[in-house]
Amino acid sequence: MSNKVKYTKVFTDLFNISEDQAVNLKYQDIIEWDSVGHMDLISEIEDAFDIAMGTEDIVNFNSYETGIKILSENYGISLSD
Amino acid sequence: MTYNVKSLSRLGPSGVFGKVAMELGEQYDNIGIFTADLRHFSGLDRFGTVFPDKFFNVGIAEQNLIGVAAGFASEGNIAFATTYASFASMRCLDQVFMNMAYMNLNVKLVGFAAGLSTGILGPTHMSINDMAIFRSLPNITILSPADGMEIVEAVKAAAEINGPVYIRLTGALDNPVVYDNDIDYVIGKANKLHTGDDITIFSTGTMVYESLKASEILSKEGIGVSVYDVHTIRPFDTESMIDTMDAKLFVTVEEHGIAGGLGDTVLCALNEIGEKKQVLKIGIPCEWSHSADYSALKEKYDLVGDRIANTIHEQYVNMRKEIL
Repeated sequence: MSNKVKYTKVFTDLFNISEDQAVNLKYQDIIEWDSVGHMDLISEIEDAFDIAMGTEDIVNFNSYETGIKILSENYGISLSD
Repeated sequence: MTYNVKSLSRLGPSGVFGKVAMELGEQYDNIGIFTADLRHFSGLDRFGTVFPDKFFNVGIAEQNLIGVAAGFASEGNIAFATTYASFASMRCLDQVFMNMAYMNLNVKLVGFAAGLSTGILGPTHMSINDMAIFRSLPNITILSPADGMEIVEAVKAAAEINGPVYIRLTGALDNPVVYDNDIDYVIGKANKLHTGDDITIFSTGTMVYESLKASEILSKEGIGVSVYDVHTIRPFDTESMIDTMDAKLFVTVEEHGIAGGLGDTVLCALNEIGEKKQVLKIGIPCEWSHSADYSALKEKYDLVGDRIANTIHEQYVNMRKEIL
């Protein structure tokens, strides 16, 4: 499973949404991605990639796209297709 | 529903309650969650949106909170009511006394920020006597979970009981983890989390984690320590206490005043079965504290693992000297 597929799967499984919905998703677009859902998302991503994210990254992680940038730039996880 | 333990830790008691509330909302048609203007602080934003017919914010009116929740419960429903523990135990005490204790109605009162976690707001928001108050009222089951996973279990178990329950929630964001997903939770049955022969620690709420840390330190010093998570203050698990009567010293650790809390619960239980045992009560002395953040207050009152170990070590050594 590629990193991109793994990353997307966290969104689709956690929020019960399609891949098409996931790739355009932003914080609070859906009711499940609220402040509580955000901590679930971060924890699932950390488990999936075996990382521990810093507070600033957790706060800045406000969309599917931004998450890719954060994981790539700050944790060396390539999420290219 | 599955829960991510790391997420539960980060969310703290409020977020965890909000998550498990969603599960209860799906499970029970006859549930209502009431709050005294703590929709967000109780983690109930999503619940209120998804279940608008099951969510009621009465405003900053704790006495009304209990009255309305009790009326709802009297019609055969399950009522949860949320507010700060300091308000739950004092501001609406007459309503709790009448509607929960005396009328035995099916209200689950959730007290957030019990103990010292809102210490920065001063003594008005510290809740260090709520256990003592609820222990004085008949009928009310008193729960005091140790971490996020146990909060999930406590809230679900409370919903299944037909009667009043007080759920005392200590801790804050980034609550330490005691349990992973494997948790054996039965109301009234304390969980033994560490085994040793010399000393038995009975701990509750956030102090379970700190007591486990203390037990590790003491074990390295050659002192065997058993640690019980007393997640249910009432009914207290006297059987577990009887199982550990061979220990030379009992210790109670609680984020609560030493007057009327877990320590006195253990002493009462010993008295009831006619046993004598030296009991070291570790908690908050009966005094007004200055305002300070949570970690500073825990340090001040020696409610962290290494300091708990020191306090116990000192008492144990002195006790052994007296015997010899």
